[in-house]
Amino acid sequence: MLNYALRRILQMIPLLLVISLVIFTLTALQPGDPVDQLVLGNSQITPDDIARLRAAYGLDQPIPLRYWFWLTHAVQGDFGWSRTFSAPAASYVFQERLPNTLLLTLPALILSTLIAVPLGIFSAVRQYSFLDYLLTFFSFVSFSAPIFWIGAMALWLFAIYLPQITNGVISLPPGGLGSPDLAPDAGFWAALTDKLRYLILPLSILMLREIAVILRFLRASMLEVLNQDFVRTARAKGLSSRKVLYRHALRNAVLPIVTLLGLSIPGLFGGAVLTETVFSWPGMGRVIVEALTSKDFNVVMVALTFISVLTVVFQLLTDLAYAAIDPRIRYS
Amino acid sequence: MKKWLTLSVLLLGAGVVSSALAGQANNSLVIGTSQEPPNINDPWRTNNLVIATEITWYMEAHLIGKDDNGELYPEIATRVPSLANGDYKIVKDAKGNVIRNSVTFSIRKDAKWSDGTAITPKDFQFWLKVEQDERVPVPAREPWDKAKITLQDADTFTITFDPPYLFADQLTSAVGLNPAPSAAMEKAWSAFDAATKNLDPKTGAKQITDEWNKFIAQFTTSRGLPKVVSGPFKPTAWRAGNSLVLTRNPNYWLTPKGGADKYIQSVQYRFIADTNTLKVNILSGQLDALSYVGLSFDQAIEAQRSERGKYKTYFVPGATWEHVDIANVGARAQSLGLNDKRVRQALMYSIDRAALVKALFEGKQPVSNTWVSPISKLYQKNAKDYNFDAAKAKALFAAAGWKPGSDGILAKDGKKMSLNFTTTAGNKLRERVQQILQAQWKAVGVDINIQNFPSTVVFSGDFAPRSAEGKWDLFMYAWSNDPSVERGDLWASQFIPSKDNAYAGQNYPNFKDADYDKIWNDAKTEFDLSARVKLFDKMQSIWTDEVPSLPLYFRANPYTKVPGLVNYTYTAYSLYPSWNAAQMGWASRGAVETFTQK
Repeated sequence: MLNYALRRILQMIPLLLVISLVIFTLTALQPGDPVDQLVLGNSQITPDDIARLRAAYGLDQPIPLRYWFWLTHAVQGDFGWSRTFSAPAASYVFQERLPNTLLLTLPALILSTLIAVPLGIFSAVRQYSFLDYLLTFFSFVSFSAPIFWIGAMALWLFAIYLPQITNGVISLPPGGLGSPDLAPDAGFWAALTDKLRYLILPLSILMLREIAVILRFLRASMLEVLNQDFVRTARAKGLSSRKVLYRHALRNAVLPIVTLLGLSIPGLFGGAVLTETVFSWPGMGRVIVEALTSKDFNVVMVALTFISVLTVVFQLLTDLAYAAIDPRIRYS
Repeated sequence: MKKWLTLSVLLLGAGVVSSALAGQANNSLVIGTSQEPPNINDPWRTNNLVIATEITWYMEAHLIGKDDNGELYPEIATRVPSLANGDYKIVKDAKGNVIRNSVTFSIRKDAKWSDGTAITPKDFQFWLKVEQDERVPVPAREPWDKAKITLQDADTFTITFDPPYLFADQLTSAVGLNPAPSAAMEKAWSAFDAATKNLDPKTGAKQITDEWNKFIAQFTTSRGLPKVVSGPFKPTAWRAGNSLVLTRNPNYWLTPKGGADKYIQSVQYRFIADTNTLKVNILSGQLDALSYVGLSFDQAIEAQRSERGKYKTYFVPGATWEHVDIANVGARAQSLGLNDKRVRQALMYSIDRAALVKALFEGKQPVSNTWVSPISKLYQKNAKDYNFDAAKAKALFAAAGWKPGSDGILAKDGKKMSLNFTTTAGNKLRERVQQILQAQWKAVGVDINIQNFPSTVVFSGDFAPRSAEGKWDLFMYAWSNDPSVERGDLWASQFIPSKDNAYAGQNYPNFKDADYDKIWNDAKTEFDLSARVKLFDKMQSIWTDEVPSLPLYFRANPYTKVPGLVNYTYTAYSLYPSWNAAQMGWASRGAVETFTQK
């Protein structure tokens, strides 16, 4: 197992190099560069100014040379400067944006799993019951309704309509990270309550889809396992239905969910972009969009490389988790 | 189930708040904007963004400012320089050509930085020294590259432009010259200087820029807030991606009527990237006002319908000019007849712009006849107005040899009049304008093929400047310019982008007219405004006759503000509401209204 893990870790290095090269090349090949934006609307800029600025931002160099420059600095921990955010690209992404995304996505993933797993089991065990139909309906609605639409509706309901009809008694803020006017010495509980108010809507919307995904996967997986011979044998042996369900069926059915969760984590960092945009939540998803729009190559590289690293790391962890869950799987 | 219900109630309970706004209660102002600046209060404006300038003006005083009526007023300076008071001087040679001009400013005795130290000519000398430094990535150097500051006494200095600068008599922030706190920045500047002085400005450009970024980030960013400021507000907290808080600077010297305590004491900017969410914030009463960078026009129209007395929506006529460029040269333009001015005039007569602005903008955006803003003194009031006239359009097409084919589409020598029409994809308003124009042109036999791309694509060097290569036939977008410093550069042949100049010019239609070029050259050195007005009159006559572009309308910039908020106003002259930050206030708190939104 240790050998396997080490081999996989070593394989990651060339893989990540190729990924970073592809990301860099595709980003650099986009039409336009940061200087185009300075030029737009500024008729005073002369051709000499433009050439000077392109040189100043290193854009006059060929792409392979620019990549080599980036790579040799990146391996030393210098990921360059962010023009859009006026800060070192890596520290901006990891210190300013990553904590916000973690605050949103980790509770979303944990709470979604805690809610979806029992619901998925219930839905499979009570197949075609009223609640199964209800959960199926909920899943399809969560899948098919666009997040920006659900988000907009939630904003309208909790930030406009309910405050109006309840005279402000029920009211949630329409986006943002927290109250700008919250006093720094407001105290722990005031800060927590304030943060919760701002977190409720984006967290709930992000959870909706996660719950639906996990629920449907687990339901299908459980149904498959419940109809297998070893489950029937376990029942025939007279084991309690609780033991059959949790010790035999769930343990086997949960493997696809482990894969799903393993891949969900890196996906959530970039994939929360719509939720973050609708609710003005300054996280990783939004930073990627903002950096791409403003041609901020260094930030794009940091954010996408980080998500690539997460993806390969979580793939490895998922594979290793298989062995822990299913004793038949051995990596030696 | 009970547990879930309890949790839900608890979560909702956490959201229970009073919907009352902080604004009037604590004399603060909450402003929403859809864009966050990378930095603020950068005296050298290295990012060139509107939102950065708007926010900067809360914390930056200027020698002279420009109010809503276009009138100059002194802020750091004791008076506005003019020929009459002798502070503005023009030097002519024997032939009468202006060879040099200069402006003298005296700094007010009570003008101070927020730390209480005096603002002195040294701060302007420091600004100019950095502006002229080859290592600093300022977007455009003109007219500062050859300017010189001479000290007259401890409070007085003269700026000389040699060659002369056309707008030296109105050195507002819009053309540069911002005070930079030399004492606060001196140490960091020396560190930058030491780190880069041995680097070659050409080969080491990137390293120099990185060092510059580190220098300026110490004074202008969310992690390095400005240390001292000159304007009426100073920054106190900036949470990246969320909000920026500014509080009143007690050392600011211009006191509004009745005393500064009757006016806004703090300003909060809330950064809300999604404009639909921004609209929800307005509707839910979370914002007192919107920034210049806020809702799109159609969203503002929707917001206006939901006002119910909670806020008011304004549409401020601006200097942002929406138009359609026509590819004037190149093999494709020639085959489509676009190099023939009769065809361009016919395209102009075929569209009903008055009906368009009425249908889409409820008449709030005025039709434009030239590229010069109607509020500019240089605007040609009787400019040729191509009122919709389908018969005239058809006659002009026929005169140029274009006759309707069996399918109704104009054709000449077997070639159909089928034009590629591009604008920024995703801009719903422009796409609607495009569809209306497509229908109007179809009625006279012009087939329009819509080919839209994202703004990052169309404004790249690979697209917009390459009309001569047939990348587009018609291209709809906007130019924005301060009307008081209009120079007509857009149409000078000198600015035609080409392979030779690395596609650097902004004369995208490739318009080239010898008469225009000559008059433009004369206007560049014509320091007498009335004489320049006459030259611009001729330039606009040539332009409207040649029609290198189709003028559509001047954009009105929408914003909202709640009742009772006074002096939060702007026009195309003053540019952003922050020009008057010191006087913004709540009428209920004793603020006196001195400017009303026009």
